[in-house]
Amino acid sequence: MSLVASYILMILAIVAAIFALESKNLMVSVISLIAMNFFVWGVLLTYGALLIAWIQLIVYGGGFTALFIVVVALTEKQKDETFELWRTILAVVAVVVIVGLLIFAVTQSGITNIVGTVSEPSEIFSLLWEERTTDVILQGVIFFVASVAIGTLFLQHNRKKAKEEIKA
Amino acid sequence: MIEQLHLLILAIILFGVGLYAILGKRNVIKILMGIEIMTIAVNVAFIALGTELGATPADSIFVKFAQIFPLISLAVGAAVIAVGLAIVINNYRHTKGVDSDEMSTLKR
Repeated sequence: MSLVASYILMILAIVAAIFALESKNLMVSVISLIAMNFFVWGVLLTYGALLIAWIQLIVYGGGFTALFIVVVALTEKQKDETFELWRTILAVVAVVVIVGLLIFAVTQSGITNIVGTVSEPSEIFSLLWEERTTDVILQGVIFFVASVAIGTLFLQHNRKKAKEEIKA
Repeated sequence: MIEQLHLLILAIILFGVGLYAILGKRNVIKILMGIEIMTIAVNVAFIALGTELGATPADSIFVKFAQIFPLISLAVGAAVIAVGLAIVINNYRHTKGVDSDEMSTLKR
């Protein structure tokens, strides 16, 4: 069951990454990026790579998406209006060739190592408790909330400034 | 049972998606998102290759030591994106745009 879940998470991570780049609305892009980080977190967690899973979620899924939101809000360019067909086609062709070659190389290299059993959710939670990873998670929550709070304050300050300028 | 190959293929596809953003997009914020996705892909590849193989598949585990390298990569990637976003905001103040083609020079 967990194996199927991990494959679904893998596919969802790829879909979310593509959606993050292809969405016209930048806020939707950032939200898709958060979703992608959550899916990668799920993949790493089911494979038992607990430490990097949590830190990846904290740093990229938490702090940096907050930063991205602040930057998108500050630049006031909510829509991505830069699109060039020839550039996109060239990029897709280049990426397909490179990814195809890499996947061919990896599949032909004869890697058949089986890493181990997939962790069940109950095992993951007991491991989290035993290794005191909960502390890291709480720190991550504090970091995330602090980032959002600073961003909000910054935005409010800018709005106040703009209002004062209009009044003047 | 999980094969290393599947994680490696996930890493390669994510890397490709990030590369597509760098090659095909002109919006600097999306390029930075692509760099973030590429960093995550490299971390997944690190995790996939950092396994200690046991006598039986059940004995094989993800080594904690192998998770330290992605940790360093994460920290460096975080710094790169922070600097990148700062440059985006600085550039926006001058050009009122986030188009990479308009960023021919950083000096104003």
